[in-house]
Amino acid sequence: MATETMTAQAVDQKGLKSFLDKVRPEKKPKESKRSRKEEKERFKKRLSTLTPAEQKYLKRKQAIEAVWPIARGLLVFGLCFVIIYPLLYMVTTAFRPRSEMNDPTIIWLSKSFTLSNVKDVIKAMSFWKTLGNTLFINIGCSIIQVITCALTGYGFGRFKFKGKNILFAVVIMMILMPPQIILIPQYMFFRYFNPLGIWHLITHNYINLINNPLTMYMPALTANGIKAGLFIFLFRQAFRGLPKELEDAAYLDGCSPFKTFVSVMIPNAGSTFLTVFLLSVVWYWNDYYVSTSFFTDNSTIALQLKNLDASLTRIIFNNGNVKVNARELIVWLEAGCLISITPILIMYIFLQKYFTEGIARSGLTGM
Amino acid sequence: MKKLNMSYEKKKGLYGYGFIGIWFIGALMFFIIPVIQSFWYSFHDVTPDVGQLIKKWVGIENFRRAFTVDPDFRVNLTSVLGDTAWQTPIILIFSLFVAIIINQEFKGRTFARAVFFLPVIIATGPVYAIITGNLSTSGTADAEQFSSMFSANMVDELLEFVGIYGFNDKLTELLSTMTSDILNLVWKCGIQIIVFLAALQGIPASAKEAANIEGATAWEFFWKITLPYVSPMILVNLVYTIIDTFVATDNKVMTQVLQIQDDWKYGLSAAMAWSYFVIVLVVVGIIFAIMNKIVYYDD
Repeated sequence: MATETMTAQAVDQKGLKSFLDKVRPEKKPKESKRSRKEEKERFKKRLSTLTPAEQKYLKRKQAIEAVWPIARGLLVFGLCFVIIYPLLYMVTTAFRPRSEMNDPTIIWLSKSFTLSNVKDVIKAMSFWKTLGNTLFINIGCSIIQVITCALTGYGFGRFKFKGKNILFAVVIMMILMPPQIILIPQYMFFRYFNPLGIWHLITHNYINLINNPLTMYMPALTANGIKAGLFIFLFRQAFRGLPKELEDAAYLDGCSPFKTFVSVMIPNAGSTFLTVFLLSVVWYWNDYYVSTSFFTDNSTIALQLKNLDASLTRIIFNNGNVKVNARELIVWLEAGCLISITPILIMYIFLQKYFTEGIARSGLTGM
Repeated sequence: MKKLNMSYEKKKGLYGYGFIGIWFIGALMFFIIPVIQSFWYSFHDVTPDVGQLIKKWVGIENFRRAFTVDPDFRVNLTSVLGDTAWQTPIILIFSLFVAIIINQEFKGRTFARAVFFLPVIIATGPVYAIITGNLSTSGTADAEQFSSMFSANMVDELLEFVGIYGFNDKLTELLSTMTSDILNLVWKCGIQIIVFLAALQGIPASAKEAANIEGATAWEFFWKITLPYVSPMILVNLVYTIIDTFVATDNKVMTQVLQIQDDWKYGLSAAMAWSYFVIVLVVVGIIFAIMNKIVYYDD
């Protein structure tokens, strides 16, 4: 039985193929050739019937259409080069033996290839430990912040309540206010932490939160972390742009507002979530301002990279006993850059497709 | 029926409070109260002590000191304002230009887009400082020359090539700082390009078609169709760019404020930060008021 159907299928396919061959119009290239020629003649004919002004317009349009792609290609290439140049330089230098930095004949590719710079830098930055710490503090915070900002943005975008405008003005102020203004009060808050204002009354003591990851986690948990104002704004725009019927249908089906948010709104704002997630991770990853303010001795990737030359001197150059000149030092610095941005660069490559879409859909345009 | 409706709306409103509640508690702790405190400090002489800050009312003395006594504050302030004034228009024009280009169909567009948004990933971190050659933190001024982007020499060579040789030192210097700044500006345009791209994709197809039928040139299309449709986003980008440069932790005023905080002069630093912020707010407010009249809204 089985073989029979198989052959039947094969015959069927064969028949289909010959049928298609018969039905298919003549081959394409020939046709396009002819039609282009025809088109040219037709164009000339059409031109002669037009007024001089119209003729000029069409001719100019043709010329521009021929030249523009080339000009555009050059432009795009040039601008991309400006951005990629330092990165390319970083990659080639990171694997270059230090002695070859003094060789004037080497611009791009070095004569030999070494991993020792990268190994040195991994040791100097205590990279794996630092990475773990960064993932725990910065990335953990950034993920939590996405969720809390989404909740807040949904509240602002979809509900009407008293005082909403004033509260939203506070969000705008969060975007506008330089973080330095509130640094000291925040520091005092964490240094002499006084839960609910009664802890001090009971114990006559304060809790010292300096050097505690809570200084990063508490703001993130309450949607007040790094650039939180901007994220709330983005989410509010995105949720406002979704059709009202979506929500009403969910309510009619007996969903509570929170369940509506989770099962109807979140799936529809997926690309905004990705965009905010990417931005949040990147800003937390690159941050060295907040991560130093409330810590006396913190170790994140960005901080380690900032202090890389000091730790290189201490650990790799044996407290300055090994003499390295500034040109040679670049080799290690670029290697440090390379290993520091590789994790987010990989993430970016996977997410960049959704990145523009997210901003486009966030309804920024419909403000 | 009406009563029921009211209660439904009211209930929804309560849920609204529920959604923003967690943010509100945080904002109270980490934003609103600190802002008020910092404002309060700026009128005081503040010295740190166990468990609190000892505050002595000095009125506007701190502000007076910031503007008249401190040698650097006014210089830094004008330099930041000046930089922002000439950089912002260039950033806006450049990012609109790039957005228009990468909105067109061509081979390798996805790649080009990915490259243009790359600065968003890199430009905020210390990596940027290293790859653009600002190694001054390590005191290796020698390396600075070497690793910085090809800008300075290129300008010199170009001038020599054109035949302007040793024409005017000042002019050459001005040109080379400007080009190197412009190259750096490319790195500041990531977000702006994305926002403009989103706006460009929002231009309705009917407008494009109408313009085509009427025989509009690309030039006319830009001025009569693209610009009006994009104008709300020009406003957004304008404000964003200004805020971004003003708030950046590495700008001169902010660095000075932090330095003074390290010297325990909290009152003075608060006064500086606040006067800076008020100036920024006024600038943004004026721009917003003016632009809002020009901007075209498609309603």
